[in-house]
Amino acid sequence: MPGTPYPKEQMHRIAYTKLTKDEISKKLQPAAANGPTSASPLSGVFVGKSLRIFTDNGPSLSYTFHGNNRLSLTENSGSSVHAGYGALALDNIVFFSHMIPGTVRGYAVVVDRRTNLATVFDLWFCGYKDNREVQREIYYGYVEDPGQEPPKERHVPTNRVEGKGFYWKQDNGIETLEFYPSAAYSNFVELSRLGGELGFCGPSDYIKIDENHYIYTRTECEFSGTFTSYVMDLNRIEQVGVRLGFNAQDALEYYVFLGKGEWLGQLAQFEKFGDESGNPLPAAAPGQKAEKGARRVYRPFETMAKMTPAQVNAACAKHTSAFAPRGISPGANAPATSMAGNLGPNSGWLAGKSLTLRYDTAPAMEYRFDDAETLHWRKEGRSDWVKARYQAYESMPGVFLFGHLLEGKPNHDGHMVVVDFDEALVTCFNGFLNTPYFANEAGVNIHFGVIEMEGLIPPKYRRHVLTDEMVGRAVSQNYAPGLTSMHLYTTPYSLSWIIFTPSDAGGLEWSGPAGYVKIRNGLYFIYWLEEACNGTLGTILVNLHTMRDVGIGYNCGENGLNMNAMGAHERLAGQFDVRRFYQVKAQGGVVL
Amino acid sequence: MTTKASTRRTFLKNGALLAVPLAAAGPVAVAADDSLQARLAKLEDEAAIRSVHHDWLRRINSGEPEIAPLLVNSAGPGLAQAVRGVAPDHAGEPDLIELAGDGQSAFGRFHCLVQIETMLAKDSTLAQMAHAQGAGFVSRTERRILYVRYAKTGGAWVIAHAELALS
Repeated sequence: MPGTPYPKEQMHRIAYTKLTKDEISKKLQPAAANGPTSASPLSGVFVGKSLRIFTDNGPSLSYTFHGNNRLSLTENSGSSVHAGYGALALDNIVFFSHMIPGTVRGYAVVVDRRTNLATVFDLWFCGYKDNREVQREIYYGYVEDPGQEPPKERHVPTNRVEGKGFYWKQDNGIETLEFYPSAAYSNFVELSRLGGELGFCGPSDYIKIDENHYIYTRTECEFSGTFTSYVMDLNRIEQVGVRLGFNAQDALEYYVFLGKGEWLGQLAQFEKFGDESGNPLPAAAPGQKAEKGARRVYRPFETMAKMTPAQVNAACAKHTSAFAPRGISPGANAPATSMAGNLGPNSGWLAGKSLTLRYDTAPAMEYRFDDAETLHWRKEGRSDWVKARYQAYESMPGVFLFGHLLEGKPNHDGHMVVVDFDEALVTCFNGFLNTPYFANEAGVNIHFGVIEMEGLIPPKYRRHVLTDEMVGRAVSQNYAPGLTSMHLYTTPYSLSWIIFTPSDAGGLEWSGPAGYVKIRNGLYFIYWLEEACNGTLGTILVNLHTMRDVGIGYNCGENGLNMNAMGAHERLAGQFDVRRFYQVKAQGGVVL
Repeated sequence: MTTKASTRRTFLKNGALLAVPLAAAGPVAVAADDSLQARLAKLEDEAAIRSVHHDWLRRINSGEPEIAPLLVNSAGPGLAQAVRGVAPDHAGEPDLIELAGDGQSAFGRFHCLVQIETMLAKDSTLAQMAHAQGAGFVSRTERRILYVRYAKTGGAWVIAHAELALS
């Protein structure tokens, strides 16, 4: 029986082993002695040579390369150690890496033989409470050229990679889509390892070698802790790099690789023209000195509430709120939440109307809309009407998004519904709680159907449909002054969101499962689940004509269950050509 | 003191900021007539007040935590606003410092440009991430009038009270 490309658990669901330092040390020693593996022949470019690398505010490293996988190293004025190593080259740029025997440390080094500039990645395990998460400190420097003045230039952090995206295929067959929509984070889709269902994010470094060559790093924080770094040639779309970490089976992955790829497109950048600075996120809190290896890491799993069904029921009983009125406190005209700053007024068009939403795969819902914020609902065939607070927003003439909670349902359901009265079609994102991993994480069911209402004849076969038309697009959303994000629709089943810094550089980024429904041309109903994050079910109705979205969020936490409206002004930031990577081919697997 | 559209204020600890007029620092070296003496004392008091005032502004602008934030009015749910900088508004009226007749208190009025930061409520994942990356605030500059009351305590001038009003 043929296998599938999908993992038993997606990365955000894997309970990675908390490896001890001793376990890590033992697993590293063979690699320290022998060097990283490589599917391609290792480079012998440095064989028989000695390099002395000086770094700014960092170590000096004296290397002697005895073969294409043996070196000796002296750090500063210490004693010499022998280690295995692996080197690969992209023309004049050499990437080599090694661990240091007897330690949980190592280096990855990029040397440009044309300029003699070097960038050194000091790498170590056991530097964070999760020992398996690789830490890194970056030192910029040069290779000593005896008798010559040291170069004044350095490789530099940059935002010049921001907005790019590539398909990569490594020499070992590993295929990924990698997007760099932020100057501090990146987004990767594991096509061959995980089947390409979801995209994931990790903190990243971007370093400029020259206008054509850049160094990239990614650490899979909140997941396996694996570190990946490579030099990429943006014109030839070639890469050379290293992967270091422990996989889900706790096996060491330590290899150098060559890769070739394909340019997928370029998203807009939003920094001021002329701003090419990198490292947009301060590594340390204001007034504090950054410790070695410090970086801003978004750790939503660590900080989220993890509740049981009993805790969810208790929290919902204590507080359940739908569309908390504006101006509660302290401002009379203040938005209900920070994401409602550009929401605009809700519509009263449904007030006084009665209708039935007949879903194909769920019980029909009967509605009486009493006024602009109160409705009664019941499932068809039931006699008891249930009162609920709702709000509706008209995104395009005749198309409304409305939502309400279903009081009394055991899983505290909420319906977020798009109704198109010109087509008599409806799509419902049915949110619910008490999901398998954490009870406060929202789940979603999608119901398609028709509107039955006096004066409307619904279609017999036509329905709203799931679509991949948004996949690859990036859309920025300004919810309120100071709160701007960007959605990157990475796969047909996931999206990521990027938070902009005060200088409008892309900053922290995270992702979650998602789905896309086409309502009309230029009008898409999208949901995402903040799994292993805050547990929110977010829904938005994106209007590409007006570049405005309205949405409804459904969230349960320790403060109870809340349904809130949100609204944003949008900008189209570009599109990656990626939809073809997600097609299912006749013979199975992922196709180009 | 005249205040209009007054906003929330900060109270400064007595003695936290003080300046001593030169005349109080030692005996008067030369005899002079009373008016000259009074005028000299007034000028020295004004200089001392300006000194304590400028030191206070410098500490606000440099973000010293015991001085800043100078709170102004809130305007939204959970939106804490803080003054992060105060600069002279050269398009406004000239600075004014008035000494009381007894020489023990003074009043100052300064047209200024105030940099105000409004913290975003951490009520969504996006807002929480904005805070996590060291931001999570909205910064804007507004014209305001700074009214300050000074008091002479133990021979030294201190800021007794300050508030920002809409200009």
